[in-house]
Amino acid sequence: MQVRRNTPGSISCSEALNWLFDYLDEELHGSRREEFEKHLEECRHCFSRFEFERLLKSRLRKLKVESNLSRLRERMEALLEQF
Amino acid sequence: MAFTDHERNEFRRLVLPHLDALHRVALHLTHRAAEAEEIVAETIFKACQNFRRLRDQNRVKQWLLRILSNTFISSRRVKQRRQETSFQEEWENETKSVATFANLSQPLFPGQDNPEQLLIQKLTDEDIENAIKSLPEEYRVAIVLCDVEGFRYREIAHILRIPIGTVRSRLSRGRLLLQKKLWYYAPDAGLLPHRKQEPREEPCTCKSEETLQGQLVAAKP
Repeated sequence: MQVRRNTPGSISCSEALNWLFDYLDEELHGSRREEFEKHLEECRHCFSRFEFERLLKSRLRKLKVESNLSRLRERMEALLEQF
Repeated sequence: MAFTDHERNEFRRLVLPHLDALHRVALHLTHRAAEAEEIVAETIFKACQNFRRLRDQNRVKQWLLRILSNTFISSRRVKQRRQETSFQEEWENETKSVATFANLSQPLFPGQDNPEQLLIQKLTDEDIENAIKSLPEEYRVAIVLCDVEGFRYREIAHILRIPIGTVRSRLSRGRLLLQKKLWYYAPDAGLLPHRKQEPREEPCTCKSEETLQGQLVAAKP
């Protein structure tokens, strides 16, 4: 894919959006990470998009479920007796 | 062949510490207590059957989550086929329409500086859980492992035995679809009027001609 750049040394919105989830998940490293952060400083649209994704991920991380393990432990023990 | 006492104790020692994580992931995937319990029970049964084939005791959690993910996806296979078909149609519509973010970024309410932040704040846990529940199973598994359980891409790739590129793809598509699902809550949150929005081009503030809409089209399978 041909890459469009805004100015020498900076990345396009298309590249930034392709890297957004990698950055969000702390999977973007080195010069790419720096270029992405520089782009966020300069582009309101991409920054807002990043903020939305960051907030959503934060909400997902905080989701709670009621986990009652006593019954599962009993089932596991009963199962182990069969093996 | 039956477990020896030593094997039975080893199984308890290695598996029991991960029972909570297995149950938590199953609950996030199914959002139904009874179904989650059955999936974990089946996972434990399969783990017993294959325990002697376990090579790396340092990766028991990943091994168990792989069994659980496969069990979950298999249990929904028939349903998933139907859902995949409808999902393809939905994805077609998605690329022609707009994602939540693009909608919210339109200046429909000039007084709201951060509509996306407002939407996230106004969503209840139930709204988000319902949106996750509506995703195709494979995307749901990737999102739960990454966003809820905090696994790295390489760990998810190892658990699901898929390339890292496929992990990225499932997360990206799953999240875009999740956005669309959450979009339906925006009118209830008072951020958009209760009427169908016509797609509009979302101009980017920087000089690039590429837009989110372009990315959605580029991401089309």
